Amino acid sequence: MTETKEIKFNEETLELVQRIIKRYPEGKQKSALLPLLHLAQAEFDGWLSAPTMDYVASLLNILPIEVYEVASFYSMYNLKPVGKCVIEVCRTSSCWLMGAEDIIKYLENKLSIKAGETTEDGMFSIKTVECLGSCGTAPMMMCGSQFHEKLSFEKVDNILDKLKSDDKRKTYFDAVVVEDY
Amino acid sequence: MKTTENIKSLPTENLMSITNGKAKTDLKFAFIDNKPYEIKDGETILTFVRRNFGNELVPTLCDAPNLEPFGSCRVCSVDVALQENGSVKSQASCHTPVMSGSYIYPSSDRIQALRKNIIELVLTDHPLDCLTCEVNNNCELQEVAAKVGIRDVRYPEGKNHLHFEKDFSHPYMTSDLSKCINCFRCVRACDEVQGQFVLSMAGRGFDSHIVKGSEVSFMESDCVSCGACAQACPTSAISDVFESKSIAKVETTRTICTYCGVGCNLEVATTNGKIKSIQAPYDAEVNQGHTCLKGRYAFGFYNHQDRLKTPLIRKNNELVPATWDEAYDYIAAKLTEIKNNDGPDFIAGISSARCTNEENYLMQKFIRAVIGTNNIDACARVCHSPTALGMQRTFGTGAATNSVEDLKYTDCIMVIGANPTDGHPVTGAKMKQFAMKKPSIVIDPRRIEIAKYATYHLQLRPGTNVALLNMMLYFIIDEKLEDKDFIELRTEGYEDFKKEILKLNMDEMERITGVDRNLVRDAAILYASSKNAMSFHGLGVTEHSQGTFTVMLIADLAMITGNIGRPGVGVNPLRGQNNVQGTADMGCQPHQGAGYFDVTVPEYHKKYEEFYGAKLANYAGYKIPQMYDAALQGKLKALWLMGEDNVQTDPNTNHVVAALSKLELLVVQELFMTETAKMAHVVLPASSFLEKSGTFTNGERRIQRVNAVVEPIEGTKPDGQIVVDMMNKLGYPQADYDPKTLLEEISQIVPFFAGVKWDELGDNGKQWPVLPDGTDTQILHTETFKRGRGKFVYNDWRESEEIVNYGAEFPYILTTNRELEHYNCGTMTRRTGNNKILTEDVLMINSVDAKKILINEGDMVCVISARGKIDVKAKITDEVLPGILSSTFHFPEIKMNDLTSSIADSEALCPEYKVVAVQIRKSKGQYKINPQRELIDTN
Repeated sequence: MTETKEIKFNEETLELVQRIIKRYPEGKQKSALLPLLHLAQAEFDGWLSAPTMDYVASLLNILPIEVYEVASFYSMYNLKPVGKCVIEVCRTSSCWLMGAEDIIKYLENKLSIKAGETTEDGMFSIKTVECLGSCGTAPMMMCGSQFHEKLSFEKVDNILDKLKSDDKRKTYFDAVVVEDY
Repeated sequence: MKTTENIKSLPTENLMSITNGKAKTDLKFAFIDNKPYEIKDGETILTFVRRNFGNELVPTLCDAPNLEPFGSCRVCSVDVALQENGSVKSQASCHTPVMSGSYIYPSSDRIQALRKNIIELVLTDHPLDCLTCEVNNNCELQEVAAKVGIRDVRYPEGKNHLHFEKDFSHPYMTSDLSKCINCFRCVRACDEVQGQFVLSMAGRGFDSHIVKGSEVSFMESDCVSCGACAQACPTSAISDVFESKSIAKVETTRTICTYCGVGCNLEVATTNGKIKSIQAPYDAEVNQGHTCLKGRYAFGFYNHQDRLKTPLIRKNNELVPATWDEAYDYIAAKLTEIKNNDGPDFIAGISSARCTNEENYLMQKFIRAVIGTNNIDACARVCHSPTALGMQRTFGTGAATNSVEDLKYTDCIMVIGANPTDGHPVTGAKMKQFAMKKPSIVIDPRRIEIAKYATYHLQLRPGTNVALLNMMLYFIIDEKLEDKDFIELRTEGYEDFKKEILKLNMDEMERITGVDRNLVRDAAILYASSKNAMSFHGLGVTEHSQGTFTVMLIADLAMITGNIGRPGVGVNPLRGQNNVQGTADMGCQPHQGAGYFDVTVPEYHKKYEEFYGAKLANYAGYKIPQMYDAALQGKLKALWLMGEDNVQTDPNTNHVVAALSKLELLVVQELFMTETAKMAHVVLPASSFLEKSGTFTNGERRIQRVNAVVEPIEGTKPDGQIVVDMMNKLGYPQADYDPKTLLEEISQIVPFFAGVKWDELGDNGKQWPVLPDGTDTQILHTETFKRGRGKFVYNDWRESEEIVNYGAEFPYILTTNRELEHYNCGTMTRRTGNNKILTEDVLMINSVDAKKILINEGDMVCVISARGKIDVKAKITDEVLPGILSSTFHFPEIKMNDLTSSIADSEALCPEYKVVAVQIRKSKGQYKINPQRELIDTN
């Protein structure tokens, strides 16, 4: 799961990095930290290792610990290795009322892991998250950039099958496919 | 506690008449419990209330004396209303500015209930094991809990952090984060005081917790063990192995650190006559509650088993124990014999910048008045002698012109040949804070810590300081940025100087220094156009063949831009040892006596003869390097060393050893059996700074009181007492060592000590010159220079003879440096926990060079100079440029000074430690290659 590859963005991403940094005033390049961490997470196996965070720090000319304190603050950043598909299940009020707890339990049983863990084959991780802004279609979960809404156990089965057959790492930068309900 | 009733406040009527009347007033008032008090500029509600009512009325937890207000714990909340008894809002008083006309209720029932609830919530997640806690009875949480009257915690037991593991990975720092109350004080101390950014708060909400780096232990982190976090922590969540916040101690003594020229005040805690721990007092003007790992933690040497406890005399080529009297008799007989047969000039003494002013004064008096020679020098010779000489030539006085406090008033700092974060950690931390906020220039061959934050880092080739500073002067003149008024009114020799500077060819200078001329121009413009610019320099300036000239150029830079004689400017040498300033002040120099009077001038010679009541030599004596040469030529037969390990620290070890072996009498006063002591005929066991009293003068001319913390270790004597005993033995009556009476004597002969009295020095000392009425001086040369006009003298850059003679055969340049953890040759620090943090000398080498000679990190490298060769472990780093190597000489095993040369500054004879021509190759044989590492393939 943790392939050893050099922690360095490709040329194209580095150009994007420069464009992102330019959004902010001179000397305030630290503001670009959040988008850069997202890029880094997408690029380097879906999580932020210490060397990855050090690399981001060097890009912004800030201290490594400034990156760590931010990365550890937001739940969207993974500080441990995760599966190719991180399933983020909303547990906030609307989804909770509509059965999010059951969905989480169902996922846990099906994948034989607890929320916060990763399957042995490195395919799936389950995370519980706060409101993703889709209360009208609760319960829902997200994998990569894709919302999966109005969930049922059957639907979950289908989604997992599809993800498994795709066998691709899902990131927040994937193109959004609108599901047909 | 004071109550509102007995506080004398301004009568309400008066205020009303002021505010209702037509007369305008700038006075501002706010009300505390409905009574008016005047507000001072910039006050927060907390400082306002505390100024009027003392510290007791409003409790605090996240606030600390040396940190910025933060407002995280809310315990300091007070009620604030816009009208008398109007509707109130709770405000965290520590970071809320006090508003004119507001009504503050610091301890209303509502507020007391709020504070109580806050503490109750804190206690739901804090172990209640106070009785066995290290900080029992000295815990701010405990104190606040008592003050707000917690009797029980109403909240049920829930999730908590009591399972957090303790961290005992480090020789000094410890943590038990189950006791953490998330007040951020440690994080802020790490950021605001030291500037190391090791500690931080990770996670959020309930998961918020203190981390070292990205969740590593203290030992694995970048911690520099300054202990600021431990001192800042209000509980025992972060502390140290000495339990410095525990009150299981009976006494504290305030004294001065012996490790460097910063002169930190230390508060030493003792139990039953043994040192327990050290903290830094917040009211210290020098260090404001901060110090470094040497000052705070490296005191374990003082009762180390290796301490010398009895005099030793060489018999049958072996040092055997003797009584003090036997030792004194032996020395007296030998000295008298040499003096009678060969003359007093066959005897010399070297005093120590680690010892007190009084001891240094006695040492030079002993050599001059009792022996009758001017062969007295001190270790300042090998560090800052060019500073003293260069600044004397330009200004008339060889001392820092300003104070470290001036960092508050300056707009730009220039650091030349100094690595303050390692060499002078407390001043270094202040400079680092400065460099993070304001413009700074660093001139150093290495990319040192502070260079990472500098506006301009001029990374020159070692040995080209003169060329680089001449470039800066050229660009200042070229850009017409000189301060013409200052030059006209206060200096001389400028026109000739300018002519010479303008003749310089910048292409050539660029090639010599290896620094882009545009970078130099930008830096020069910054320095010259800043309203106030301040320079600091260290041994990277002085330990060169053109050391004195470099110092003079730094002084020229200050004069040409008018940066002299007011706050926030000046030329400020960072003195290496704790009392290197005092050593020279006291006259431990072969050409000048106490107070810097030239011993060859008849008027002063007579003055000294009358004062000491003895016949004195009227010609200058040997400087240290000349002593070795004289010994080798048979012109010096006896040498007395007060606490110096010349064999390890002086350059060209083989030369030093050869010289010392020729002596008929080598006397060494020491704490430990050093490499030099091993060669002595007589070794005299001395007491450390913790065991004696006296004064040290720090790098900003501040004379501070050293107070004995413990009794001398049995069998040892203070260095001063040893010298007194010897003086008496040789028939010169001198009273026993006592700083008070000695200061009285010194104040009569050293003009700038005129008003220095032991009882009046106080906790923070005085900066010389001290006038007879006791007034001291923060800034020198405010009106005129000591020598009248400041003198511009041009000096051309000259390649070091070392490079000229050996550069072709030995193409690399080795420069020596020092590391934070160790002090000089490490005699003391190697006998403390510091040795576990930094275990060896390493050779810094650029990856380009490492590749050339096929070595990896940690491999042994053979370094060869024209004098010798050594093997040392490689550390591959981009701190040094290709072709440049750097290493320390903290460890005797490595013998770094086998490599260094006898070449010295042309004027002051300070050795050139910073430029050594060497060749390198991978070591053969005598080491094991780390099997896990593969060689880099260069094909």
